[in-house]
Amino acid sequence: MPFIEAVNLHKTYRLGRVDVPVLRGVDLSIEKGECLAVLGASGSGKSTLLHLLGGLDRPDREPTARILHEGRALDGLSARGLDDFRAGHVGFIFQFYHLFPELTVLDNVVIAAMVRAGASYASVRAQARARAAALLDTAGLGHRLRHRPSELSGGERQRVAIARALINRPEVLLADEPTGNLDRATGRRILEFLEGVRARERTTVVMVTHDPSIAERADRVVTLEDGRLARPA
Amino acid sequence: MYQALLTRRYLSSKVMPLLASLAVMLCTAMVLITWSVMGGFLERLLSAGRNVMGDVAVSWGTIGFAHADDLIARLEKHPDVAAAAPMIETFGLISLPGGRTEPVIIKGIEGSSFDRVTGFAEALWWKPVAKPLASDQEGVDIRLRDENRRVLGRMHADGLAMMASPDPVSGRDWPDPRPGVVLGIELSRYNIRDGDSGTYTPGAPIVKTADGRSDVQRSLILPVNGEVVLNMMPLDSSGRPLGGLDAVTRAFPVVNEFRTGLYEIDKGTAYVELSSLQRALRMDAARRIVPRPQGERAAPAFRIETDPSTGEERIVRTEQEMIDDPARVTHVLVRAKRAPAEGGDPRALALVVRQVYAQFADDHAGKVPAAPGTVLAGGHARIAESGNAVAIRTWEDQNRTFISAVKKEIGLVLFVFTFISITAVFLVLAIFWSMVSEKTREVGILRAIGASRRGVAFVWLAYGGVIGLVGSALGLAAATVIIRNINPIHDWMGKTLGLYAWDPQVYYFSEIPSRVVPLHAAIVFVGGVASCVLGALIPAMRAARMDPVRALRWE
Repeated sequence: MPFIEAVNLHKTYRLGRVDVPVLRGVDLSIEKGECLAVLGASGSGKSTLLHLLGGLDRPDREPTARILHEGRALDGLSARGLDDFRAGHVGFIFQFYHLFPELTVLDNVVIAAMVRAGASYASVRAQARARAAALLDTAGLGHRLRHRPSELSGGERQRVAIARALINRPEVLLADEPTGNLDRATGRRILEFLEGVRARERTTVVMVTHDPSIAERADRVVTLEDGRLARPA
Repeated sequence: MYQALLTRRYLSSKVMPLLASLAVMLCTAMVLITWSVMGGFLERLLSAGRNVMGDVAVSWGTIGFAHADDLIARLEKHPDVAAAAPMIETFGLISLPGGRTEPVIIKGIEGSSFDRVTGFAEALWWKPVAKPLASDQEGVDIRLRDENRRVLGRMHADGLAMMASPDPVSGRDWPDPRPGVVLGIELSRYNIRDGDSGTYTPGAPIVKTADGRSDVQRSLILPVNGEVVLNMMPLDSSGRPLGGLDAVTRAFPVVNEFRTGLYEIDKGTAYVELSSLQRALRMDAARRIVPRPQGERAAPAFRIETDPSTGEERIVRTEQEMIDDPARVTHVLVRAKRAPAEGGDPRALALVVRQVYAQFADDHAGKVPAAPGTVLAGGHARIAESGNAVAIRTWEDQNRTFISAVKKEIGLVLFVFTFISITAVFLVLAIFWSMVSEKTREVGILRAIGASRRGVAFVWLAYGGVIGLVGSALGLAAATVIIRNINPIHDWMGKTLGLYAWDPQVYYFSEIPSRVVPLHAAIVFVGGVASCVLGALIPAMRAARMDPVRALRWE
């Protein structure tokens, strides 16, 4: 049984009075621990696919689609169930980092643990802060814990975002153009950091990119074209 | 937990929420100051009556009624009554040194019994005091000075006894101890009131001497033992002017002055010793001829009689049927054991007084006015007003129109100010709406890391609540400081800006009354917080309903 299985994913956005189909029937299987790169041009539906796999969005109701995580169907989860799923099983990494500008580096990482623990956070506070500090130390930011995101470089911000994605020990990391906003050298270091994390945490990684040179570092590459997965050549 | 973290960070890093807190502060302070000043005004208005007439007054026009001693004895036996005192109230003119004449309400009292009912000893102004008034921060009050202690102590005793002892300064003595007069502190206008300290400094009026010259009256505290002349109109027990339309004129030495804080009372009242006023108004005990029924000719007062032994004619007084006409008073004032502030109810006491008076009237049938009946109003028994019966009224009854107007005005002003304060709700709404727009992407991040819609909404509600807490707390603090210093602030505004909002002649009291009632403060505080949460509600719902994917792509 695949770790993640997506069947017949369709997604249409409505822009004003116009329906814009973004995904037109995507079938995808990902094995546990695999690093999958989703390659595609801008507007091909890569990010949408990532959002659907991470439970941040739901596929169209018609035709029937299914997303299974270790055999568990996401479409059967309530809104609250999906929230819990995102908090506990998935770590998102975005192209523009998406950090909270008012929070310190440490708090930007810890906040994800707070969201997951909810009212019982007080009982795990010490462990959460220690793990956040350890992750940031691994990311080379041990001396930057009290800094604000505005005081960091792009690469440092992305490492904070990766640490935040990892704080809850997710089973899968969903990275949306993680190096898209960085220069080539910094992007390469981020990818190396991500590979190291994946090896240490044994996390499944789905990475969306438009850059074939980045995609080729993955275990497997699939290409999205016009809302559908292209057949491998 | 993350809501608390974000709220704390947002609060300390944004100017807009601080402005919102400031708006809430101003609104809560405005409402609380208004409530405290107007509520304090009403409270002082209600409680001031206790210092003027006790809790309940039994009155019968200006003619008065007899056997007041018996009524007072009966009243003082009742467990709800602390004390009762007789009083005569009449209208007259006062001629002051310097040739000024003013209309005045003249009240005849026994100092000691009047003190038990109204706390008169405390209202007497010229007495040694141990600590300065709250506004007298520099201790300029002459009553504080040690060298005046003996004189002021004597003046206080004289004021309470309503009798003039030798002039404490000159040592000049009267032929006999003389009944004196105690004037309202604003009546003579000899004393100059200092606006800053709220104290009075004796002035030095120019008076006309016996030989027609003008001279400056020298006295420590004016017009100590300087005489004033009271002109009054005596009425007989049937209400007819005695001695035609000639007014009775009596001179009284001024033994002290009083200050109730009620400007109208302090401006227009003179207290005179009861028995001397009774004599002046011919309301004292006397023997008098029984009036004949209407139409029957009265026998001549004198007739010529021939002495049977000598045969000489002589003039003799005709034998008349005489009766003892007891002394009369116009009022009996009653003080309750429990003050209204301690849960006492003057209206309940009025019913008790009516009950006692009804028994008293039965026992003195035909000699005293009848007792009033009772009516049911709003499920409670109340005393019915009747022209044929004595009036038994509380202070609130006597000033019903004015006090009701004040109560309604408080409600109206609070409604208007609360309505104005609702602008704070819209202000918070506008600020939060803009902040939610600005933070759209952060809402998306929160949803991406697993925050629920409710959790996101709670971020903004908690944020609104904290702004409300901070703003309301600051508002309460500001209001408390302002209320406690409202009179110095008012005086400063008057001196610096020429703005005098409080006119004692309009508002009765010479100082702005204000007191922060903890319950009112709590209501305003909760209202301030609730307003902010309410203002944050719609933006919070907007944030909660955001599509996380669109929120993440927001630019």
